[in-house]
Amino acid sequence: MKTIACIACTLLLVVFMPAGAAADLPAGIMRVAATPAPALQLDNLDGEPYNLADTHGHWRFVHFWASWCGPCRREMPGIQQMLTRLGDTDLEIVLVNTAESEEEIFTFLAAVAPDLVPLLDSDGLVTEAWQPRGLPATFLVDPQGRIQYQALGGRTWEQPPYLAFLQGLAGAATATPAGNR
Amino acid sequence: MVLYHHMLTHLQHLTSRRLLAIVLLGHLSWLSAAERPFRGPYIENDDLLVILVPRSPEQMAAFYEARGFPREAIERIGQTCFVTVFIENRSADVTWLELDEWRFTGNGKPLPRLDAAYWQGQWDEIDLRQASRSTFGWTQLPPVRDLQPGETVGGNLVFPGDTETLNIEARFRTGADRHGDLITFGFGSIGCNRTAQKP
Repeated sequence: MKTIACIACTLLLVVFMPAGAAADLPAGIMRVAATPAPALQLDNLDGEPYNLADTHGHWRFVHFWASWCGPCRREMPGIQQMLTRLGDTDLEIVLVNTAESEEEIFTFLAAVAPDLVPLLDSDGLVTEAWQPRGLPATFLVDPQGRIQYQALGGRTWEQPPYLAFLQGLAGAATATPAGNR
Repeated sequence: MVLYHHMLTHLQHLTSRRLLAIVLLGHLSWLSAAERPFRGPYIENDDLLVILVPRSPEQMAAFYEARGFPREAIERIGQTCFVTVFIENRSADVTWLELDEWRFTGNGKPLPRLDAAYWQGQWDEIDLRQASRSTFGWTQLPPVRDLQPGETVGGNLVFPGDTETLNIEARFRTGADRHGDLITFGFGSIGCNRTAQKP
């Protein structure tokens, strides 16, 4: 009888466990039904073109932000630290600024995250196509180009639970900092 | 006391539904400004934190001017009433933000919310550039959001400029299927425009 009760409890836990509540996910990281990532083809702040479709083969950290957004401003220094602490992890960091001018972007990033070179979604339409839940928004795109996880709001990416999670995704493969460092 | 009466009356209308009632005052008038933990009226319990911050036209004009909005857009923004809303889902369940479920009144009458369709019409009239439309859109409170445990959301609600004070009756359904407890509460006499609270 005790065994049956345990099985029933386990089944209940499995059935009612909410998305993103898996024990191995850091707080605020939500597993989503895998869907192909929308197109993301933009120039970065240095004028260099970037196309997400050309970078399949490793995980991508796609982050949408704007400097007027308070949570974005608080989160960005942590992303800079995350990049440093991840070191040679095979994870590509893709920052997308939503609808701001180059001057606004440069003024903000120069002070808090000078190593980051964002893509410019100058009219905001690429951001809208990704349908984030708000700003900031982070999507984790798998090597096949599917969105597998979404972060809820701003996260302390530089902290150990997030670093371990991202390292686990990417494995200890070769460094691929790609066009946004 | 008036607000309590309003809330109790409202709750009586909802007795046929599963109801988790949070009967709290939106005003914390017995606290001094220094004692208030937030800048505006708020409601806080184990399930939800909701904060309202009424904005003055000058505040909104300054914000959007700094983002390069043209004069024609600033004028239209300045003729309306902005209330910034912050919501945190503190429960272990999904909580639904659905603005169509909320009721807004002023001077005893229903008050229209100036939603995305209204602003699209405004921006079409002045041919506002897409970047500004995008920025404006991201500063608005989303009309629908399935707030996950621990998730926050923020943004502006906008009302007609001749609104002096407004009452907000907020309803949140819960559960992934929206069939969980219903959370409902009200804020009364929220100041608008020139009667807005200064930060």
